[in-house]
Amino acid sequence: MQRISIFIISLIFLMVLPLTSFGQEGIVNQEETLNDTIVVKQKYGLRLGGDIGKLARSFIDDDYTGFEISGDYRLTKKLYLAGELGTEENTIRNDYLDVTSKGNYFKAGIDYNLYRNWLDMENLIYTGLRVGVSTFSQNLNNYTVYTTDQYYDTPFTSSDLREYKGLSAIWVEFVVGVKAELVTNLFAGINVQVKGMVAENEPENFENLFVPGFNRTFDSGRFGFGFGYNVSYLIPIFKKNKKIPVGE
Amino acid sequence: MKHNKVFKPFKILLSLLILTSMFSCERDDICASATPTTPHLIVSFYNINDRTELKTVRRMRVKEANNPKLIIDDSTKNSITLPLRIEVLDNLNTTRFELTRDVDFISDEDTTTEANTDILEVTYTPELIYVSRACGYKSIFNGVIAGRESDPNNWIIDVEVINTTINNENAAHINIYH
Repeated sequence: MQRISIFIISLIFLMVLPLTSFGQEGIVNQEETLNDTIVVKQKYGLRLGGDIGKLARSFIDDDYTGFEISGDYRLTKKLYLAGELGTEENTIRNDYLDVTSKGNYFKAGIDYNLYRNWLDMENLIYTGLRVGVSTFSQNLNNYTVYTTDQYYDTPFTSSDLREYKGLSAIWVEFVVGVKAELVTNLFAGINVQVKGMVAENEPENFENLFVPGFNRTFDSGRFGFGFGYNVSYLIPIFKKNKKIPVGE
Repeated sequence: MKHNKVFKPFKILLSLLILTSMFSCERDDICASATPTTPHLIVSFYNINDRTELKTVRRMRVKEANNPKLIIDDSTKNSITLPLRIEVLDNLNTTRFELTRDVDFISDEDTTTEANTDILEVTYTPELIYVSRACGYKSIFNGVIAGRESDPNNWIIDVEVINTTINNENAAHINIYH
């Protein structure tokens, strides 16, 4: 319960912050008088990228391999189609379990830009929604039967591999993130995802400990968390000269 | 107003940091001691002349037959909990317990009294049950059969299996009459 309330408070906090500052800007713009225009060359279209966080972790963490490509496509100034396609392999190890999850995932949805760009910029401060699906397998590499009794020196341990194949999951994600242009057409971004499991197909007498794309699961509920660091390149499919009114 | 524009990305970053800080500190990773895991075998001792009456065993010592460690050392009780060993899953396993009463008679001077050791043999089939991420698997025990080995001087008269499945520690699984 406590975790859920913290979660809700954080969500409200996250959503209210950008809105408050946004409202103040609107007032300023209304006060401007329009008596001149300048022409700005705008370019937009498809932005394609990859998650460098997952890539870096693949090198550092022996228990993890993963990669994700992502893309967004501008529908309107504020609305973007967005999606991610990825693959992950992750091993969870503790005293009693050693489990490797492996699989692919796909996420699709929209990003809503809360940031009012200056002139020709294509930066994003956004909130987004996704629907994610994953197909994966879990291998129980090793386990030790849990017992509180220490009378027999070694509790029963088995390393007979148990494979659970053909697992799947579907979830929804709420995303908050930033994408900023570093050099021409090259963007760097960071985002945080809060996920809610909708349905998952669980192995008999076991559970899904890690779902590719969703991350680790929690005993206490359907929620999950994730974050990403991505680098992306804007392919300027559309170019147009936009007249922007300028105040004195 | 200008300051608002400059600081907005930082505000967002701060919110993200607060959210990510929730990742740390996770109770799910510790197996709570209250979680029911692999159960013990519970044995209760009753009076052979009045089979509903609990009867204590005087100064009892209990150990597994091949293990030098004692489970119970010189204690007067009418109920004991014993750990069952798992050698193979989904197959018959047997554990033999040595139950000795009057252990003080081993070392005393009186030659007319002596300790008496009986062997309780328990056969069962362990079955894996998934508990949680932190606790992993526990085992329950099915098809429990129990008996005592005959010797010229048994103090255990009768053994009765009350519960052929050991999946909790709420009540006795085996009654011993003496």
